[in-house]
Order: sequence, then structure tokens, then C-alpha cells
Amino acid sequence: MGLDALLDAFLAVLNGGSLTFLMAGVLLGLTFGVIPGLGGTTALALLIPVTYTLDPLSAMYLAGGVMGATSFGGSISAILLNTPGTAPNAATCFDGYPLARQGKAGLAIGASATASAMGGLIGLFTLLLFIPVAREVVLSFGSSEFFLLTILGLAAIAVSVKGKLLRGLIAACIGLLLAFTGANQFTGETRFTGGINYLWEGIPLVPALTGLFAISQMIELALKGGSVADEDTLNEAKNMKITGVGEGVLAVFKHWPVLLRGSLIGTVIGAIPGLGGTVASFLSYSSTAQTAKDRDTFGKGNIKGVIAPEAANNAKDGGSLIPTVAFGIPGSAETAVFLGILVLHGIEPGPQILLQNEREIYGLIVALTVSAVGASVLGLMFARVLVLITRIDVNIVVPVVVTLSLTGVFVLEGRMADVAVATIIGIFGYLMIRFDYPRLTLVIAFVLGEIAERSYHQVRLISDGDVIQYMLGRPISVFLIVATIITFFLPAMRKLPWRRLTGRA
Amino acid sequence: MKKFLATGATAVALMTGGAAYAEFPMDDNVTFVIPYSPGGGFDTIVRQFAPAMETAMGTTVVPENISGAGGARGGQAVYRADPDGYTIGIYNIPGLTVNEVLGIDQGFKLDEVTWLANLAVETYALAVAANSGINSVEDLCAMDKPAKLSDTGATSTASVTTRITFGILECDIVDVTGYAGSNDAMIAVISGEVNATIKPITSLTKYLGGGGTGDLKLILTLTADEAVPGVPTATDIGHPELAKFTLNRVIGGPPGMSAEVVSALEEGLRAASEDPAVTTWAEGAGIGLAFMGAGDTKAMMDDLSSFYQQYKDLAAVAE
Repeated sequence: MGLDALLDAFLAVLNGGSLTFLMAGVLLGLTFGVIPGLGGTTALALLIPVTYTLDPLSAMYLAGGVMGATSFGGSISAILLNTPGTAPNAATCFDGYPLARQGKAGLAIGASATASAMGGLIGLFTLLLFIPVAREVVLSFGSSEFFLLTILGLAAIAVSVKGKLLRGLIAACIGLLLAFTGANQFTGETRFTGGINYLWEGIPLVPALTGLFAISQMIELALKGGSVADEDTLNEAKNMKITGVGEGVLAVFKHWPVLLRGSLIGTVIGAIPGLGGTVASFLSYSSTAQTAKDRDTFGKGNIKGVIAPEAANNAKDGGSLIPTVAFGIPGSAETAVFLGILVLHGIEPGPQILLQNEREIYGLIVALTVSAVGASVLGLMFARVLVLITRIDVNIVVPVVVTLSLTGVFVLEGRMADVAVATIIGIFGYLMIRFDYPRLTLVIAFVLGEIAERSYHQVRLISDGDVIQYMLGRPISVFLIVATIITFFLPAMRKLPWRRLTGRA
Repeated sequence: MKKFLATGATAVALMTGGAAYAEFPMDDNVTFVIPYSPGGGFDTIVRQFAPAMETAMGTTVVPENISGAGGARGGQAVYRADPDGYTIGIYNIPGLTVNEVLGIDQGFKLDEVTWLANLAVETYALAVAANSGINSVEDLCAMDKPAKLSDTGATSTASVTTRITFGILECDIVDVTGYAGSNDAMIAVISGEVNATIKPITSLTKYLGGGGTGDLKLILTLTADEAVPGVPTATDIGHPELAKFTLNRVIGGPPGMSAEVVSALEEGLRAASEDPAVTTWAEGAGIGLAFMGAGDTKAMMDDLSSFYQQYKDLAAVAE
């Protein structure tokens, strides 16, 4: 296999010029990751014209640096400001932010950095193992599996809305409504657009998520006043050193099963085109929270709630290269832009991509690995400084974050309408915070709605209308159906009387 | 009064426009609008042509992505720009032609656009899985159940081509749309999820035998003459009209551009299409460059419009 190529790529990256591009990518990725609204896709899309003047390998180092670093960057704002820097970091807010409010931001950042680096490494290791069978992996996932994975994702919502089932469902329904806006892939007709052609392609994801998380959280913070960390915590913290970073690093190794499971979920979800990091990190979080003995402490600052999504989020980058090496198709928005960069350099991505462009593909794999580790090391080095953000007056934090996020939303496509969408959804998101409706269920439904609808229609046509029988004839589909049933009923099953009896015995 | 004002405005526009034409293209940068996001086929071809155009015309060409509304938003931006030659755009043809025929309001009329050139033409072919046992269109149409074909969106050019082609052939099919991209649609054929797909020959090549993976085989090319050795053409099966289905990368500008500006841009684009950097890139990326000047492009656009008008009912998506 390509072990030689991998070694060559590692040696090549140590070359001064390559390392410069890679580190530039890491810094850019971290910056774009930290700023809510800007993510890896935005960074890569903005980089495309720049990479035009570079040779393909340098372009790969730059792109790999960005891809590997954004997800950890995004977790920093998720932990410190309850505002995920990129959409997949939303699940990190659940336990990361409560930790920050308890004055344990250092612990959370330490854990996030380590889980990100380790998740990235495990994801890439899995990718290398999968390369020989990548073709079979991709061919075994069809419309039926796509549909069932979205249903599994939606079923996992049930776990995240402890005690708020109705509100969670209402939010999810709104998410589905937003997802169905725009042209129907099957009839070509437009729905819920009100004659506005901006909405033909649906509500754009980045402005919607920026509004829902960044803008709404900033409105909340502005109205609350003070600083992010609790007043009491702050008073205590004044007499306390900002520590816990090392403890966070150790926590990841202590909870290695969580790390491993998160990384595997990330790799598998990453390998399925269209699902992406948000679903990966959310499924990883919910499966950890659901099966943990101390599940009652999730959402209140459980460190495992930071490790699980961050490991999955970084591992998905490795996974998303599985369809790329097998067929030259992108597994994620980032790999789509990365393939676009290859096309710009006259390389036609296809099933032979690994044979014909070994240097570029292994260059990207190495860049991703070095970037995931490099970004985390940088994060750990600056964790103590970063934590101070939680102590800054919100009157300074809010204008800075709002300006940066809305500028980011505008820059991507240059449309003022995107800024308007982010603002309107931001106000709506604030109302959701104010009246205690879970925003994440809305996001999951929004992200999955369109894929669910599309893949269901496909299965219906492919199976000649006999959907159930078609699914039952496919082993992976059967596995997903079972997983969905377990996910859905596990919370209820725990309440069964016999379980309590055996628990006591 | 209104008429008078309009006449006055036109006169002023012509005068100021006339002054600009004299200097074209040295006054300003030429903005090249791409109606899709960075990284796709339309973006790539423009970014490849831009530097070569700069060399040929001695001016700066700035690609600008204005995506949205299936390419209509970028088209609208060009349509509304001054016809001074400093704003041009690339168009998805026949995607926009079909939408117009189907009565979808795109915010501008294609017959008002000033057509400058056609950069590339891609021809289509019908592919099935190599191990499927289907060897001809007759085999595909004689299956127990209607054959299933894979496509991206229902309004995509390939999907419209599929519906009209099989409509003309009077063969019942199920067009399974919704695949994320052309590659995903082809992989659905390889995995056996669907029976066949119609895609540009350049996209299919990588999955064919002889250089490709050998997962797919062609049973028909939508061309008049033989495009792939041994594969029947549209003419061979008695439907030469199917050769009209092509995917074009067409360049246009706002309505009312002067002949001088059109000629300058046409020549700039022609020179760029012959630039060694562009031809080498096209060869590597499997793009079929086929330059066509302003006059021929205009004729092609008019022809396409009446061609699709004829098959309006077949092009419409069945509920």
C-alpha cells in the first residue's frame, strides 16, 4: 500500500516551504474556526483564488492546514462563549460552556485540544486501514442507508431534550420547515419562497447557523451584562490560578473509550457524503450521554461531553477522504472545495485519483495530521490566555463577535440578504433561549431534513414503492434500523421497573 | 413625458457608453461573473480563461462569483450591468433555456442577452453497469419494470435530457433525481441502485474500460457521428435529433452592447481558448474546448430555444 508514499509525504512536509504553507493554513484555520460564522469551508472557498498561483502540493498543504485546524478553533468559542465557531462544535457547547461558567474553561479547552488531536489521528489511521476497501465501503452506502442515518440522527434528538420533549419536537419541526424551503429536488418546483428568488436554493446553512448560535448568544450576553463566567466563580477565580489544562489533557486518556467511540463515529459519518461533522459530533455526544453511568451530569459540565463531539469532529476529516480516494467524490463540504482546487490545477478527480495523484492525496493526509496536532498544541499553549475571554466585559465581547460573524457571513457570497437571514434567525434564536427551546434540535432537523426527504424519495422510486422490504434486504440498513430503535427506546427502557430492580440487586 | 425621458436617458446612455467604447478595454477591469460558487465547473473554466484573456486584451479580468437561484442571480447581475463590456458572464446552457421554455421567471430574457462566445461543448452518452447484461437501448427498454436512471436535480440539464430522450424513444423510465453530484449518480449505477444514467462523455470516461475503472459501459452516444468506437450513435438508432443535447459553457453580456465591444471581447476569448496554458489545462481536466464566435453562439441559442420549445411537454417534470 502507500506506506512509502506516506513516508515521502511526511519527509516532504518538513521541507521549509511546505511547512510554511501548512502552518499558514493552521493559523488561518484556527482563526476562521474561532470566529463564529466563519468555518473551514469559508476559509477554503476564499483561498481558492489564492491557490491558483501555487503548485498543487503547496495548495494541498495550505488546504490541509485549514481543514485540520478549524474544528478545534471552533470548540474554543463553543466552550468560552457558548457560540460554536463552526456548526459541528454546537454539541461541544452542551458541556463545554457549563464548565466555563464554573471557572473550568482550562479543563474543557485542554480536553478539547487533546480529543481533537487524538480524534484526528485515529480518523487518519482508520482512513489508511480503509483505503484498500474504500470502494466497497462507498458502494455499500446507498439511498436507503442515507435515509436511515438521517432518521437515526433525528431519533437521537430525543436524547438531547431531557425533560423538554415537546419543546424539542416543536424546534425540530421548525428546523424541518426551514430545510424544506426552496426548490424541490424532485419536481423542480419552489416551496415557501414567497416569490423571493434568493430562497430558490433554500435557506443557506452558514447564515442560518451564525444567526442561531452566534447572534442569538450575543443578544443573550448583551442583555445579561457582566462577563461570561459567573460572578461568584469570578470572585473565587481571582484567588485561583487558571489551571486545569493539564487535567483536561489527562481526562481524554482517562476516558479513552469515549475518545475511541467518538473517533469511530466521526470516521464512519465522515465517509458518507452529505452528512458531515454536525451529525457526527452530535451522534457521538448523544451516544456517550445515553450510555454513560453518570448521564444525569451531562449538560451540566461533564468533561466526557466535550471529548465525545470533539473527537468525532476531527476524525470525520479522515473519514471524508474515504469517498475521495475511492471515487474522487467529496465526503464533506471541505473536501468538495479541496477537489475544486485540484480541478483548478487541471487534475480531474475520479476513481483513479489515488493512483494518479498520490503525492497530492498523501500530502493532504499528512497536512491534516500535522494540522490537527499542531492546532491543538497551539491551543494548549494559549489556553490560559484564551480563558481570559470569559472574564472580559460583554460590552466588548458582543460588538466584536457580532461584527466578525456578520462580516464573515457577507464575505462568503457577497450577499446582504445572507446578513439579513443571520440577523432574523439570530433574533428568533434569542427568543428560543429566552423561552427555553433547544436550538440544537432545530439545527439537526435543518441539516438533516433535506437529505432525509431526498433519500426517502429515492428509496421509494428505487424500491418500486416497497420501501420496507427493500431496506430489510440490505444488511447495513437493518443494522441502522436496529440502532434507531435502540436510540429511540433506550431512555424509556431505563425507566422500566425490572431494570431498577436488577440495578439494585 | 415618460417616453421623452426614456428617449433622453437612452441618448445619454449611448453618448456616455460611446465614450467608453472608444477606450475599451483599457478604462477599467473586466468583471467576469460566475453564477455559481467557487470550485465548480463554471468557476474553474472562467478562472482558467481569465489570465489568458488578460494577456490577449491587455486588461485585468476579475472573476466574481454571484451564486444563487440556479445560476439566475448571476445572470440577472450581468443583465442589469451597463453594456460597456466591463461586465460579462458565463451561462449554464441549456439549463437556463429549459427553465425559460418551462415558463420559470429567471429575472431576465435569454434572447436579450448579447452572446459573445461559446467556450466548450460536452456531448452526452447513456451508460449502464459493465456487468449488468444490458447491451443496448432495446435491452434497457425491454426490462420487466421501467428502467431506473439516476440524476442530480429534476431541473438539471442531464435530467431534462434524460426525460426528453426517453420520451422521444417512447420508452418508460423512472428518473431517480436527488443525487448530490454527477459522480454520485454514476456510482448509483455501479452499485446497482439504478440501471443507467445519461452523463457527459468526459465525465463517464473515468468509469469506462480502457483507462478508466471498467465499471460502466456505454450503450448509446447522443451524437450524430461516432464519438466512441463501437458505441451506437443517435443517428444509428434513427433519432438524429438527440444529438442536439449538449452541455455548453456560453459567455454573454448585458443587452445592447456595441459591435466594437462584442468584437473585442470575442477576440479576447478566442485568443484565450487557444492559449497553451488553457489548452493544456483543458486536456488534463477532460474539458472539450470548442470555441464558437458571437454570431454562431447567437444562432445556437436561438436554435436551442426552438428545439426545447418543441419538447416542452416532455421536459416538464411529471408529478
